[in-house]
Amino acid sequence: MSSVTYHKLAGQSVRFYALLLLLASMLGGGLFSAWQMEHHGHIITGMNNHIVWGMPHIFAIFLILAASGVLNVASVSVIFGKEIYKPLSRLSGLLAISLLIGGLSILVLDLGRPDRLIVAMTHYNFTSIFTWNILLYNGFIAIVLVYLWFMMERRMQPYYPLAGKIAFVWRLVLTTGTGSIFGFLIAREPYGTALLAPLFIALSLVFGKAVFLLILMSSCYGGQRELNQRVIIRLKNLLAMFSVTALYLVVVYFLTFAYFEEQRGVVRFFLFEGGVYTALFWLGQIGLGVLLPLFLLYHPRLGQQLRVITLASVCIVVGGLIQLYVLIIGGQAFPLDTFSGMQVLSSSFGDGQVHAYSPSLWELSLGAGGVALALLIALLAMRIFDILPACVSEEQIPTF
Amino acid sequence: MKLGLVIDLDVCVGCHACAVACKQWNTSGTLGALTDYAPYGRNPSGVWFNRIRHYEVGDFPHNKTVNMPLSCMHCEDAECVNVCPTGASYKRKEDGIVLIDQDKCMGCNYCAWACPYGARELDRAEGTMKKCTLCIDRIYDQYLPPEERQPACVLTCPAHARHFGDFDNPLSKVSQLVRERGGTTLMPELGYQPTNHYLPPRPTRPIDTSAEKQTSLMHKVKEWVNKLITT
Repeated sequence: MSSVTYHKLAGQSVRFYALLLLLASMLGGGLFSAWQMEHHGHIITGMNNHIVWGMPHIFAIFLILAASGVLNVASVSVIFGKEIYKPLSRLSGLLAISLLIGGLSILVLDLGRPDRLIVAMTHYNFTSIFTWNILLYNGFIAIVLVYLWFMMERRMQPYYPLAGKIAFVWRLVLTTGTGSIFGFLIAREPYGTALLAPLFIALSLVFGKAVFLLILMSSCYGGQRELNQRVIIRLKNLLAMFSVTALYLVVVYFLTFAYFEEQRGVVRFFLFEGGVYTALFWLGQIGLGVLLPLFLLYHPRLGQQLRVITLASVCIVVGGLIQLYVLIIGGQAFPLDTFSGMQVLSSSFGDGQVHAYSPSLWELSLGAGGVALALLIALLAMRIFDILPACVSEEQIPTF
Repeated sequence: MKLGLVIDLDVCVGCHACAVACKQWNTSGTLGALTDYAPYGRNPSGVWFNRIRHYEVGDFPHNKTVNMPLSCMHCEDAECVNVCPTGASYKRKEDGIVLIDQDKCMGCNYCAWACPYGARELDRAEGTMKKCTLCIDRIYDQYLPPEERQPACVLTCPAHARHFGDFDNPLSKVSQLVRERGGTTLMPELGYQPTNHYLPPRPTRPIDTSAEKQTSLMHKVKEWVNKLITT
């Protein structure tokens, strides 16, 4: 066994500064959008009384799920003893923190009153799953920070596996909590099922793995570090397996709704009659987000090429965003069935019709700003701390 | 006490007077302005505590239009209160009214997800959630004559379709109406136990549409005149 050498990103190249500038610009755009929304109110967004969570939440929930899933690389090494992933654990931990901070920043800045974040931190209603999530998110950042410290501090090495195990359990609970934000809602038909918790866990594994692969490959490429293809192949095999698992749970989700007569409207809406949501489901979520990546990843020749794996990961990320859009925006657009058996003649509240939503530029910019913040934190941390291994190879199994 | 409303769907004519009165009172009330968005624009909109729906029930000729005012139900087991992360939404123990502490609400919108009636609206200018207060600032106002200590919507209803009172008191008007007219709550299957009740429309008398031949003398005269004119 050889010891792993970690190095900072050199950060001297034009590409590094160009990326820094790009991310800073996106972050600036996001902050400007947040200021606009604070100044003019949510009236400038596409959100309304029916679609109360819009595009910023799609980005935020994606980042939160990815944050949980990205830690899986570190967990695989510490929980399942796959030493091959140990050199990547630091990057895994760092991304878990940065992605979560990016996601939470979007959530906070999208609040009606973001200045009252202090209220959320000082007043807790423990019957609310939202409150539990606030504690879970904050706890996750603290635990992964400690985990990262134990990984990087030689004196704390004996406690490193314990921290890893706690982080693993915590992230499972965290993603369960995120899924339960929707799973505990019985007022809206497309939700209110315990299945959303395992579905979100599976999605977190998919999103996290895809994001991790993209960042690992781009940082090794940008930092001109050796990247053993076999490690990437192992990771992409995991990605494909998680993707199949998530697809299976989506199928079970719809089968559950199809089983109950009064809930079949949900299945009809998403799969057949939902207009833009149906199109997005089949073309975006299933086609682009699952089938195309699976074809690319499992193809005997294409699946071995780094560029194709990169393309598949990008498809999964875009498809994942579309999946969350379909689930969250589509779920709100699905009309509330307040008066069964009655035909709506007119309503000043738009009852009985699929609610319209078109995201505004401010929302998109805020979401992109959160992504930029997450990447900026990761990039700067890789520049300041010894996060990335000097080379990522299968033979290099660390000893401390 | 369990204060709430009874709405008589048989009497409600869907005139929207209750919604307008609610808007007027609460805009000038202690809660502060209920924001209007582009009030003089092409599509004026704004925050409303009370909205009216118009439904068609049954098939012709046995159909009927039902006008349904809908505001916060002040549920016994209010899910909006349960899900509020900061505790800004709360249910008063003394009278059961569900309120929002405007100083604690951070506008996360999660309560709007939880309410199956769509009775909560984010004030998109102020950034906080708004909902029916049951005119709490007038029902306890000692400076008002006792008969005026009722929600604005109840006082203004021209058809007397809205009634306000204590559901805990079996002798109150609202309890009697619910008892005698078979008042029901909306979506009871969810288990939120709404306080507000609706009195169902009385059965409609079907419109006779059978092609029955009219044989009166007057009818025969009319037919003869018609024939004379048209030929």
